[in-house]
Amino acid sequence: MKSEIRVGFAGNPNCGKTTLFNAYTGANLKVANWPGVTVEKKEGETEYKGRKMRLIDLPGIYSLTSYSMEEKVSRKVILGDEVDIIVDVVDASALERNLYLTLQLLELGKPVVVALNMMDIVEERGMEIDLHRLPELLGNIPVVPVSARKRTGLDVLLHAVEHHYEEQTADPVVEYSREIEEKIQEISNRIQKQYPESKNLRWHSIKILENDEQIIEEQPVDISDIADKNYEKQIINEKYNYIEEIIEECVFYKGNRQSMTEKADRILTHPVAGVPVFLCIMALVFFLTFTVGDAVKGVFELGLDWAFEAARTALTALGASGWVCSLVVDGIMSGVGGILTFLPNIFILFLALAFLEDSGYMARVAYVMDGIMGKVGLSGKAFLPMVLGFGCTVPAVMATRTLENEEDRKKTILLTPFMSCSARLPIYVLFADVFFGKYAMVAAFSLYALGMIVAILLALIIGKVWKTDKKIPLLIELPDYKVPNPRTIRIYVWEKVKDYLTKAGTTIFVASIVIWFILNYNFQGMTSDVTTSFGAMIGKVLAPVLIPAGLGTWQIVVALISGLSAKEVVISSFSVLYGVNNISSPEGMTTLSQALGAIGFGPLNAYALMVFCLLYTPCVATLATVRKETHSTSWTLKMVVFQLLLAYAAAVLVFQVGSLLGL
Amino acid sequence: MKLNETPIEKDFRVANVRESEKILRRLEALGILEGTRVRVLNRKRNGATIIKVRGSRWALGNDIAQGIEVEELTDEE
Repeated sequence: MKSEIRVGFAGNPNCGKTTLFNAYTGANLKVANWPGVTVEKKEGETEYKGRKMRLIDLPGIYSLTSYSMEEKVSRKVILGDEVDIIVDVVDASALERNLYLTLQLLELGKPVVVALNMMDIVEERGMEIDLHRLPELLGNIPVVPVSARKRTGLDVLLHAVEHHYEEQTADPVVEYSREIEEKIQEISNRIQKQYPESKNLRWHSIKILENDEQIIEEQPVDISDIADKNYEKQIINEKYNYIEEIIEECVFYKGNRQSMTEKADRILTHPVAGVPVFLCIMALVFFLTFTVGDAVKGVFELGLDWAFEAARTALTALGASGWVCSLVVDGIMSGVGGILTFLPNIFILFLALAFLEDSGYMARVAYVMDGIMGKVGLSGKAFLPMVLGFGCTVPAVMATRTLENEEDRKKTILLTPFMSCSARLPIYVLFADVFFGKYAMVAAFSLYALGMIVAILLALIIGKVWKTDKKIPLLIELPDYKVPNPRTIRIYVWEKVKDYLTKAGTTIFVASIVIWFILNYNFQGMTSDVTTSFGAMIGKVLAPVLIPAGLGTWQIVVALISGLSAKEVVISSFSVLYGVNNISSPEGMTTLSQALGAIGFGPLNAYALMVFCLLYTPCVATLATVRKETHSTSWTLKMVVFQLLLAYAAAVLVFQVGSLLGL
Repeated sequence: MKLNETPIEKDFRVANVRESEKILRRLEALGILEGTRVRVLNRKRNGATIIKVRGSRWALGNDIAQGIEVEELTDEE
């Protein structure tokens, strides 16, 4: 008996594998209602009656033939020796499509247990599934009804896993036509002769008949005398004929109401209204982020004020020396505290994005944007990573794995950073509020729009330069709409809030100390004259370059450089640079506006600054991800240089044209 | 008739699929085969089409939709 059972979760995209995985392992992996959320293999552990089980969550696949990067991951794990048993997670509400993969998995000969998920939806729809007949038609493997969302049937499923993990599937489930069966028999004989070690002859023979590249490469068998064509189509056809029989015998419909989804889609995927509706939805997301976020922010600012007072009192009472006081209050608390006050905005943004993703609308975005994306040589599917980019560029870049071709992927990776991520939000909120008064929201919105426009123009240019005409067409499943699940939303938002807090406690904390240090020290030691500090020295070298963009002061240079660590750091650096304790509070904003106003920095400069922040090199975390996903340091570096130049050119353009117009 | 030019909210049967090898295999795995019933739900102006096949809803780009030949189902079917 093995000490540990390794269980692989396989199944179609969006059938609930990750929800099930989370339920067993207590993990908080991201779940949402669109196909392709999981792009990486993830492992976790659980225990059943003292037996350790290693669970492996895999990206969804429709068949064992792999097309995109994430499908290759799943195929490799399923075909290899990494798992003892496969739990085939099946969306019971779409049984007909899901069973195709099930039949393929059964042919593999590995132990398979079917987890019949989403039984609650089956009931809601007025469907019934014959749970006695179904396993009989699937070669008597265990079929366990579960609800990953409601966490029912979980123990029964593990019980089945524990009982069956050593049981190979016995007889063939699908009997093909005589023509095919004879060929399978003949090829099996040949494989056995040529490769006596080979296990599961039937599966290998079928794959050879289907012309599977990988299998033919590993174990070439000459079948030219018995097979004169690729039999894949016929084999698929016969599998589907069998599936139709199963559906006929096992699934009963009690009425055929038109679903909510179809009604909602009349508006949401309308040929003309589709795009405007999408833009309105995104505008609403940002509107809520700014208004509701700002309303709550006041409370945070009061809290921060109180914290500043408390810190000062405490440090004085403790008799701390001047530099300690300065480091804690003007360095760490100004920097980190200033960023924390934006937490309400971040929270609302991710809450709204979570609703969007879990409602089922995400996949529609791919369809709705297919027209516009088609004009720039991409399919609408490439827009999904870009929507995720409004949250954070790192997962967005990873989400490009669902795109089938390498060129489309790189193109999309290049565009994604232009979607204003949540880290750029504080910059917009602050500078728009300080310099644009009642037009603050318009100014902020214009930056979101500008980012999208730049991305689309860029895609158009790349399309011309790279001259790619073999565009991968759109093919995406549109799930049913559903009311977002509170647990899913909670996990989603909490993970993002946690990331933000972690960033405040690490990157921004360190950056604030560094900024404080370079502002208060020079080669002679501590200095009270900031203009002789390290910071001023560094900034002054580069400041002249930024004069044409209206950003030619050393403080701004320092803030922009520090922003490479994370874009929020631009704001925390401004706090430390200008000695503003509570930068997003009304007093803090007045201080900042006066300090900047004194050097002639007005709304136009502020807008140029925001444009620069929108377009310039993303944070180091993004760069590391791009490097990892493209496997190319030189490509990543080229991207960095390109973005810097683009940001510079755009900021100069804004400032010069604005100045000419007398703004 | 091609799938990118059918009337919407009607049922059809797939008569013929002409696609590149890769797309063809993919559609077959999804059960979009000769003889399969499809319901056309919606279409964008660029030809991208939403269909329902075997209980699942799919958005197909124009490039794919125009390679799928369908014929209308008679009322009894």
